Amino acid sequence: MTAAPRTPSAPAGLTRRRFLQGSALVGFSAFLAACTAAGESQGPASIGIPTPPPESLGPSAAPTPLPSPTGPLQFANWEAYIDQTTAADAKTGVLPAGSSPTIENFKKKYNVDVNYVEKINDNEEFYALIQPALSTGLSSGWDLIVMTDWMAGRLISKGWIEKIDQSTVPNCVANLRDPLRNQPWDAGNDYHYPWQSGMTGIGYDSTALKHAGKSAPKSLADLYALPANKITFLTESRDTFGLGLLKLGKTADPATTTDADLQAVHDDLRPLVDGGARFTGNDYLQDFASAKVWAAMVWSGDLASSADASQIFVFPAEGTMVWTDNMMIPKGATHMYTAELMMNYVYDPNVAAQIENYVYYVCPVKGAEDIIKALNASSPLDDYHLGLLFPTPDVVAKQHNFQFLPDELDAKLKELYLDLAGQ
Amino acid sequence: MTAIQAPGSRPARGGLRRRLIAAGPYLLLAPGLLWLLVFFIWPTVQMFIMSISSGSLDTGFRLTGSTAAYLTALTKFSRQFGNSLVYGGAATVLDFLIGFPVAYTVAFRGGRYKNLLLFLVIAPFFTSFLIRTISWKTLLDGPFLGFLRDTLHVLPADASVTGTPVAVIAGLTYNFLPFMILPLYVALEKIDFRLIEAANDLYASRWGAFRHVTFPLALPGVFAGSILTFIPALGDYVNATLLGNQQTQMIGNVIQGRFLQLNDYPVAAALSFILMAAILVAVSLYAKFLGTEQLTG
Repeated sequence: MTAAPRTPSAPAGLTRRRFLQGSALVGFSAFLAACTAAGESQGPASIGIPTPPPESLGPSAAPTPLPSPTGPLQFANWEAYIDQTTAADAKTGVLPAGSSPTIENFKKKYNVDVNYVEKINDNEEFYALIQPALSTGLSSGWDLIVMTDWMAGRLISKGWIEKIDQSTVPNCVANLRDPLRNQPWDAGNDYHYPWQSGMTGIGYDSTALKHAGKSAPKSLADLYALPANKITFLTESRDTFGLGLLKLGKTADPATTTDADLQAVHDDLRPLVDGGARFTGNDYLQDFASAKVWAAMVWSGDLASSADASQIFVFPAEGTMVWTDNMMIPKGATHMYTAELMMNYVYDPNVAAQIENYVYYVCPVKGAEDIIKALNASSPLDDYHLGLLFPTPDVVAKQHNFQFLPDELDAKLKELYLDLAGQ
Repeated sequence: MTAIQAPGSRPARGGLRRRLIAAGPYLLLAPGLLWLLVFFIWPTVQMFIMSISSGSLDTGFRLTGSTAAYLTALTKFSRQFGNSLVYGGAATVLDFLIGFPVAYTVAFRGGRYKNLLLFLVIAPFFTSFLIRTISWKTLLDGPFLGFLRDTLHVLPADASVTGTPVAVIAGLTYNFLPFMILPLYVALEKIDFRLIEAANDLYASRWGAFRHVTFPLALPGVFAGSILTFIPALGDYVNATLLGNQQTQMIGNVIQGRFLQLNDYPVAAALSFILMAAILVAVSLYAKFLGTEQLTG
């Protein structure tokens, strides 16, 4: 049990820190610009990594003189992905119940309204919502969205994402962790900044399993062995099939995986699906809340941030899927400047640490680590939570990125997934 | 000359008026027809065109006259078509069995509470469809089942109602019940009670009077109610998504999956078209069976 203090950090400290950062940044961003230009040539396009559209050489959008934040910022994100006001905070009346301190502080700081909606349940599902508008050049209605790498790459390559004005986001430029820079699909971070990274593994409800006299799953093989109607897999088929490959002892690598490998995963899952196993998006959280599932494929931080201590995430023995979810501004966003301010705001290490200390994902922001530890100084985090926030080397060694699939493999995956899903 | 022309011009004016009067019904129909044209006929035509096109969302769909989509739609999804027919049919029959006594009671025994009772039938509909269906998730796997399973151990540890066809049919039955009750009520309420009295006077038993007088007079309501229940239940995908599992997916789920996940618009359009045609055939057979003259009441 960790009684993490979830009160927002003092605004006074925040501003001083930001001021110091701001002055240090000016030189650093120029240095970075040089770096990214050098890293541009690396882009193995063979395994289906989309690339940004060619730069339109027309006159860049006229520089708007000192824009002011406008709102309400329409911010679409996933469930359990931002810090929430604790019951204690809500009681004191400082912040409304169910609100997020980060969002509330942002609203106060910039005097702008934010409509933060937990709208994203699955990449494809959200893509289907925004695709019709964006493909016809209309606004999607969102100013800031958060999508996983492969989908982010797809959206950027279609030219549906606004280019970020790097001068508005000095925190991002300075504080993005190095391993997350130079992604082949957007090498210069012209279009995206990571929100969180995480892993896909197994979640289980220890109380329900104990009731049923089952032991907690430690591996994917254990998960598959549980009663089929009490487990769920992810509609995010890259996760489900990626872990399925690991379960069969195959590697999950877009460059080497074949149609036959995916077919084997499908055939392995078939009896479970016939026995009642289901596919869910982020809404598996509701299934856990109503004790409808005993164990499931889940994303690493979600169960740790739920109030129920019996819901536990475990890194499967076979390995995990690793990914990053990225903030982007869809074309036609009405409050683009505010969206950039939000990106910049959450890249303040203090803010990032505050979010992280609630959501238990892997923070993309440099300097947040120490602050997270400082936030928990009074009751240090246990190994479980530390492992989620800062994956240990042996966990990292078994991470697989099964996202950027070549077109044929992608088509095969969709077909096999829909067949299992009964659709 | 003027005298000759005048009679000639008068019929012309009268002709215009006559033509206007003759066109009156069509003019009155025009807004409705326009509505249908824009929001039904045109989308249907577009859907048909899509169903015989090929291509992908990224490259665009081109009209090729290909029937591949229909072939896929007809061969690959027999289970889901079957699920739709069975679940939709079962829900309609259950709705009739539950709804008829309710409508009968409200119409004949409701007295001054009629309006209150009708309100109670509709009251749940002030809550969103989704919320109601999600609540069923909780109800079906709720404390009662938990008590039987975890405390009394009379059910196996993995017992659960959700994720089964029973749950999907229960959800459909519940969600479409008012669509059955209200038309039945309207039909029953209209019945002239003297006809039933006359039947009794002619030595009909209560059951005989019901069978030969009440029920035949309520047939238009039965027809309307079952159509209003069966058609939406057939195309529904929310209940199967929230209350079922991957084995209980209905044709609506397939259309949703093809359309939103696979972006396979031609097959989704072909499936929708087949569903529409199937419903049309079923409804006309049903109308023939019940007799079209009954429909107008």
